Amino acid sequence: MAQIILSGTGISKSYGALRVLQGVDIEVRAGEILGILGPNGAGKTTLFNMISGDATLDAGEFTFKGEALRSEAPHKRCRRGIGRTYQIPKPYAGMTTFENLMVAAMFGASLSERQANAFCASILEDCGLAAKANLTAGSLTLLDRKRLELARALASNPSLLLLDEIAGGLTEEEARQLVELVRQIRQRNITIIWIEHVLNAIMAVADRLLVLNFGEKIADGPPKEVIANPDVQRVYMGIEA
Amino acid sequence: MTTANITLPTHPGASIPDVTVIRHTGSSRIAAAACAILLVAMISMPWWGQSGHIRWVVEFSVYLAIAQMWNLLAGYAGLVSVGQQAFVGVAGYTMFVLASNFGINPFLAVWLSVLVPGLLALPTYALLHRLDGPYFAIGTWVVAEAVKLIVLNIGYVNAGSGMTLRVMSQYTLHQREVGIIWLCASMLLVTVGGSYWLLRSRHGLALTAMRDNPVAAESQGVNVKRLRFLIFVAAAMGTGLAGSIYYMAQLRITPAAGFNPSWANICIFIVMVGGVGTIEGVLVGALIYFVADRFFAQYGAVYMVILGLMTLLTALYARQGIWGLISSRIHIPLFPVGRKLIGPSPAKTGGTP
Repeated sequence: MAQIILSGTGISKSYGALRVLQGVDIEVRAGEILGILGPNGAGKTTLFNMISGDATLDAGEFTFKGEALRSEAPHKRCRRGIGRTYQIPKPYAGMTTFENLMVAAMFGASLSERQANAFCASILEDCGLAAKANLTAGSLTLLDRKRLELARALASNPSLLLLDEIAGGLTEEEARQLVELVRQIRQRNITIIWIEHVLNAIMAVADRLLVLNFGEKIADGPPKEVIANPDVQRVYMGIEA
Repeated sequence: MTTANITLPTHPGASIPDVTVIRHTGSSRIAAAACAILLVAMISMPWWGQSGHIRWVVEFSVYLAIAQMWNLLAGYAGLVSVGQQAFVGVAGYTMFVLASNFGINPFLAVWLSVLVPGLLALPTYALLHRLDGPYFAIGTWVVAEAVKLIVLNIGYVNAGSGMTLRVMSQYTLHQREVGIIWLCASMLLVTVGGSYWLLRSRHGLALTAMRDNPVAAESQGVNVKRLRFLIFVAAAMGTGLAGSIYYMAQLRITPAAGFNPSWANICIFIVMVGGVGTIEGVLVGALIYFVADRFFAQYGAVYMVILGLMTLLTALYARQGIWGLISSRIHIPLFPVGRKLIGPSPAKTGGTP
């Protein structure tokens, strides 16, 4: 069995009186695709923010590749191999698509400029953004901004990739192609945690599903078992047993 | 999303064809040549220019330098300071003290004096870095006023009466003009040329990313906190250098002049009207301010009202400033900092060079 790349124990977070996550345990194995489901406000993005370092933990601890993450800053976590996308795309609007990737390649992946040029050009090609390489990111459509989020995260050369609802707003065909791309990413030996509401997309590639509700983990296991779980059906799909 | 045959590079070190990235344009080459000619004209000016015109060049260079430093601060690091006069004043005073009281050559003292604004920037940033937006701006103004009050109460620097640079009388007018104009040329190379070099380097990518989205930049490996700190210190030193040179040319400094908030106002006007976040914008803004100050300052309040209105109108209707309006119509980057991807290099792919 593959080694555990990320583990979190007792992860808790509150914003004032609002308890967003309560003692959540999470374990991800190298090369795995873990899907995270849950209704809005379940704490999914907060969990990502704490893995990437964008938010601090109230209690609990994350271990990445056998070492505790403690209060390490996001840029250090990125350099250690944790890449992420944002649910609401955060492009560098005044820079071109290519330059957006260059930032991640040169600072996240610590490549030289020459290496980064070639690496980013290749990722743009693969993510369908080659024709838009020299357009400013601010001028891209929402769909292209989502592609850019994924491409930029890849440019940081992560070993763990956090995808936050990248299929949201895509057509069925676009979502199918996205699934293909995620499969390809896994072949690069990148572990993926994917928050997604588009169930077809996540079911097509996830090895395991974890479901959150009001900050608590209510299910964790193989996708088919989790989807058949009565609690998950009630909470996530509104189906009463 | 992508084609059916996806072939992601396995890792950055995998054999990936080299690509061509263009960093210069025809207009930027012309601008570089023009800058070189202007620089030569500038350093030779004491031999062919009039004293009055040399003073104009010194003044314009100082405006350009302090505005470019403010452009780095506000336009890239997101640090809107209205207290840059603190660094102008302390550097000016340090130069006067080193030259008058310690007998150090004043032209060398100018360079030594930039260490003090650099040192002052350390506690200032430590105190203010947790503040955001308008709170940070107010904090910088408070620090500048506090420094001014301290200087006003130090008898060693003649308190409110200010200091006079009598040591300059040992030089002839020509020697002074050569020294000051060469200092100005060096200052422009360090502040404007240095900013251009910085923005074209890998750190320029990080700075621009930080300007556009600091949260994303941090999560892509950019150490945003350290970069902001370094920019704050560098801007303080660059602003101080301009202050030292300006007051050397004036031969006199007082707390009221050295720590005058109008220094910050000049920066804000030049950068906002010219165009924030670009070197070209600062050039345009500095030219407008210099011409306005030279030829319309005599109209007093009306002149100030017009400058204020220009800033307001730019903020409301042309956020990218006059250079932004120009570049949205004609693509003539004079100081390009971007990277244009052309595609696989013909040499590597066996195509026609």
